[in-house]
Amino acid sequence: MKNKLQALWRLFFGDSARAFGSASAILLVLLAVAPAKNYFSEWRHYQKQYLHLIRGRADAVTLERHFQGGIQQIWIPEQQVTDRCTTCHLGMKEASLADVSSVAFREHPVIPHKLTEFGCTTCHRGQGAATTVEEAHSATEQWEQPLLPAKYIEAGCGQCHLENQTGTPFLNQGRQLIVSYGCTHCHTIKQGDGTYITPDDDPPSLRHIADKTTREWVYAWIKDPQAYAGTATMPNYHLNDDDARDVSAFILAQSMPLEPPLQPVKADTKAPADPAAGTSLYGQSFCASCHAMQNAAGMMVGGNVGPELTGIGTKAKPEWLQDWVANPNHYDPGTMMPHYRFDAAQVATLTGFLESKTEPDFVANVHLDAATPEQIEHGKRLVVENGCASCHEINGIKKPENFAPELSRIGSKPLNQLVFVEGVEHSLPGYVAGKVRNPRAFGPSLKMPQFKFTPQQIDAVTTALLALTDRAQTQPPTMRIASVQQTKYQPAGNAGQLMGDLRCFTCHMINGHGGDMAPDLTWEGTAVQREWLTQFLKNPETLRPALIRRMPKFNLPDAEINTLADYMMTVYQTPEFDRDSLPVSQFTPAQVEQGRQLFYSKFACQSCHIADYKNDKGYIGPALAANGKRFNAAWVYHWLKDPQALRPGTIEPNQHMTDDEARSLTAFLMSLKSGGAQEAMKK
Amino acid sequence: MANTLDRLVDQVRENRIWRSIFRSGSGESNLRRSLFVQQNVFLHLFSVKARKRTLEFSATWYLGALTFGTFLILVITGILLMLYYHPSVPQAYADMKDLQFVVSSGVFLRNLHRWSAHAMVFLVFAHMFKVFYRGAYRPPREFNWVIGVVLLLMTLLLSYTGYLLPWDQLAFWAVTVGSNIASAVPVIGAKMRFLMLGGTAVNANALLRFYVLHCVVLPLAAIVFIAIHFWRIRKDGGIYPGESPAEGGAK
Repeated sequence: MKNKLQALWRLFFGDSARAFGSASAILLVLLAVAPAKNYFSEWRHYQKQYLHLIRGRADAVTLERHFQGGIQQIWIPEQQVTDRCTTCHLGMKEASLADVSSVAFREHPVIPHKLTEFGCTTCHRGQGAATTVEEAHSATEQWEQPLLPAKYIEAGCGQCHLENQTGTPFLNQGRQLIVSYGCTHCHTIKQGDGTYITPDDDPPSLRHIADKTTREWVYAWIKDPQAYAGTATMPNYHLNDDDARDVSAFILAQSMPLEPPLQPVKADTKAPADPAAGTSLYGQSFCASCHAMQNAAGMMVGGNVGPELTGIGTKAKPEWLQDWVANPNHYDPGTMMPHYRFDAAQVATLTGFLESKTEPDFVANVHLDAATPEQIEHGKRLVVENGCASCHEINGIKKPENFAPELSRIGSKPLNQLVFVEGVEHSLPGYVAGKVRNPRAFGPSLKMPQFKFTPQQIDAVTTALLALTDRAQTQPPTMRIASVQQTKYQPAGNAGQLMGDLRCFTCHMINGHGGDMAPDLTWEGTAVQREWLTQFLKNPETLRPALIRRMPKFNLPDAEINTLADYMMTVYQTPEFDRDSLPVSQFTPAQVEQGRQLFYSKFACQSCHIADYKNDKGYIGPALAANGKRFNAAWVYHWLKDPQALRPGTIEPNQHMTDDEARSLTAFLMSLKSGGAQEAMKK
Repeated sequence: MANTLDRLVDQVRENRIWRSIFRSGSGESNLRRSLFVQQNVFLHLFSVKARKRTLEFSATWYLGALTFGTFLILVITGILLMLYYHPSVPQAYADMKDLQFVVSSGVFLRNLHRWSAHAMVFLVFAHMFKVFYRGAYRPPREFNWVIGVVLLLMTLLLSYTGYLLPWDQLAFWAVTVGSNIASAVPVIGAKMRFLMLGGTAVNANALLRFYVLHCVVLPLAAIVFIAIHFWRIRKDGGIYPGESPAEGGAK
């Protein structure tokens, strides 16, 4: 054996010439490794596989013509995109490959963007420059940002699209949750267009809290807000009994009595014996448009604009309820709740009804001794430490600035700046979702409280947060599609004051200001007839039978109705056309008949609308049975021609009618003059 | 066979073009050989004659020659890398990615440059140890030892300036730390750091400065000092042969 080795050594390195030759040969082999590695690279393997796949298909010739070998690249310098993903993902644009089982070669699902204009990593992240699977898809030593998991993919859209898109329900939901759970009371979020996300959860002021509720209730609420109302957005601070005791002591101690003080509930205006009267008034006033309440079957019924009222009798003191129902502005001038014109009897009825909605269990086990000054002092310290004043107005405590970390670029946060704990996936989405799910898991001393989110909501919030990337901040402004910003529009004069008092803008939008729960009224004066408007304000009829949320009955006196109607008919007119430009008198019966045909056959309007309560079942859009009494013909005509021009974003489709069709349909719709829904139901 | 080859070589050497370039022709005489060395711009740095003992492996372990070899590899691969590299903040790291993923044998090129750099630092130290323990630094070679120390510093500076160029986190923080160490020098520390970085932070100016140092200033200086180093070997009587032939033989 040894001899053989020696012989071998002599053969190759026996003299200097042999040694030089052998060493050269070895060097050559070693050098050949480089081009060989180049040749056997991963992407070539995928291109071969792709060719193999398409050659077996019916449209092989077309596909092969589209195929380009070698490294492919989408290069968009202004967006800093250099994406070589299409080197392996060769079937991205091939519609015929939509059914291929291998994700690598499947067609990209249809999106409204061209791959060549946006690249891949813009939305998907990962390492665009890479040409190996590992480097392109995963977090590696040289690249921190792996592919975004598919369930968060809408975060990609959210970098440019600051407005709600129908294609991104998850992102929209997440953004809505961030707004409605008041995340931005503590965290600043500046969007790419320079606007800030503002919360709309409207946390109540605590400056007069002692007038409203008891310390026992405050204690139980702080311990677990969701135990009182499952829909409560207030998070849980996991305070121990002593801390909750001291916080409730301070909260009550800082409260100052209202000016003028609440009136005691008089015995003679106590609620009437008939409990049905309260239910009925609650229903008529459409309190459920905004407030939810658990019904006898345990189902939650009602809107989420105001707080849930299932246990309101346990929470609120009777004298406060009475005061609030009569005029909410007294307790909270900034409330979203409208000022109903209830008479004394109605106030008593409604107060009695609400008082009867109790949850005695909630405070049954709370027994608190009178607070000591030390406890109050400690409570104050806790309130400051936990940043309660970030959301609530509290006497003697200023709203803290930048209480929590800014989240404007959380979607691009480098992992080395994050502290992970066990059980949290070591990735940015994992971290963000973990924080949203259970913030205190990251350390018991952390201040962020526990929000009650379902797993689906957690993913939605995570999606919305992951959209807040460096790219979203730094990309050219032309890439950005801004969200609709609220204007500061306020109507003037008496009508303006009245609209403020009635909180019209809680639900309606006018000139870009207000809520989106009810129709936009910017051009209501052009749309409707004055007589209908006054009638509607007096006693709102049902326009959309399927909705729980409806226009409440405010019990307005005639003078106020006239003020409102005059103002709306005069001011809220479109400059595009005159509301009287199409007199009904010029319509012929033939046109009406033709319109009826178009309504029922060509355009099948009855799928969504009701023209005749007896036969039609459409409930997506408003009922049109009394259309002739409600609208002006000119409005109907222009609406039919192009609904989105009159109200951007309306779901009414643009049917691209001819002028004649629109005119005939208008003639038909203007001929519908039966009563409203209620009248129809009565018959 | 061998004769034919020799004749061929002689023919080439007597060729007019060869003569015009190298000036010396063919011939077996020592005169011819020494002329060949003397009259060549590169070879004239070396001794015309060398003791056989000094050419043995044990005399130097060829450490100096190996160091020079890695330097040549670094120059060649460095020039090739320069073809793909932009010393600018938005492009530098992207160029690394291009070398890794798109340039043919780009990874090979980078790795060769990097490993050669490591090898050069190692070999320079090994060379100096060998020289030190053999006592080859003593007169008359003391000045060449000083040149060697300068070359050591240049090697380290080349290594350090090259470290920043990939413009990744490792590079950024290494240079941040390094420049902060420089700023610890009393009195002029902060000024030195400013001079080094071309600013107060590791940024575009520092990158450009390090690039120029790494690709132009330091290599040129190193070449000049290497030339002096080689030339001094000749002037100092060739490579140190050892204490005495007797000692060398006893080994």
